[in-house]
Amino acid sequence: MSYKIAAIGDLDTVVGFGLAGVAQTHVHRNADETVAKLTEIFSDPEIGLVLITHRVSEELKKEIRKLMSEKRHTLLVLRIPDKTGFTPKEDELKEIIKRTVGADIVLNKERS
Amino acid sequence: MAKIITVAPTRMELIKLRKRVALAQKGHDLLREKMDALILEFFNILNKINAHRSKSVEQLMNAHKALSKCLAVVGTVETIQAMRESKRESKVDVSTRFIMGVQVPIAEAKIERGILERGYSFYNTASAIDRATKEFELALLSLSELAELEAAAYELAHELDKTKRRVNALEFIIIPTIRKNLKFIVMRLDEMERENFTRLKRIKAILEERK
Repeated sequence: MSYKIAAIGDLDTVVGFGLAGVAQTHVHRNADETVAKLTEIFSDPEIGLVLITHRVSEELKKEIRKLMSEKRHTLLVLRIPDKTGFTPKEDELKEIIKRTVGADIVLNKERS
Repeated sequence: MAKIITVAPTRMELIKLRKRVALAQKGHDLLREKMDALILEFFNILNKINAHRSKSVEQLMNAHKALSKCLAVVGTVETIQAMRESKRESKVDVSTRFIMGVQVPIAEAKIERGILERGYSFYNTASAIDRATKEFELALLSLSELAELEAAAYELAHELDKTKRRVNALEFIIIPTIRKNLKFIVMRLDEMERENFTRLKRIKAILEERK
């Protein structure tokens, strides 16, 4: 199945991915607007990949987590750094590893 | 665990419980094996993610650099105009496969439009915009692969969590409880046998006395 792509973030990210042909774009201005857009995107059956900048996902952590838990199987969500290369210290994936495996041994060594 | 034992101390129950404990043990061993396999698979994917992420992020940063140049050369308004005009036809193929019985997605981005079919007018734009577009298309391809790997890692982690919970429940609650019940029944049956034995002895003594 072919799906469309969506991008949410600051203006630069949106313009860049817009040029690259991403179908749905949204510039994050305030939380309410973005949450409404996110809900719309997550319930759209034509979307297969959502790119969200780390800054937005940090700001709307709770809402995104809720949406993620209810999403369908063929919808991928990826958090990407924005122009400044901003990535949060507490990585979501790292948190999960810590919880499931009990320690984050390999990952930390390789990343730093 | 001061739990009141509610099983009836009969031989029937004993046989039933023995069967149950064997089954639970078997299930526990199997789940444990599954967990080991899942962990192996999980770390495989994590290593892949680590290798891939730095590459993707680098590509994305290159793309942003190209875009900054483009914004400077062509102008912000014109670039945004070009973005509005560009054909929004990039697609991503998503299907699923199974790792260890866990459904994980496979994603592959496809950019079908050629360099001349991007949609914005060539009259108003400069080559910087083409470069920025190209870089972002490459970043999109790379990021879709990263998204696939991360989604797989999430699914596996979820399954791992579930399996671990089951293994622990079996190991620390279900099997010990059954074992305790078993022990209770064995003790009770032995006790009854001893009671019976002394009773018989006593009866025998009374009968001897009467002769």
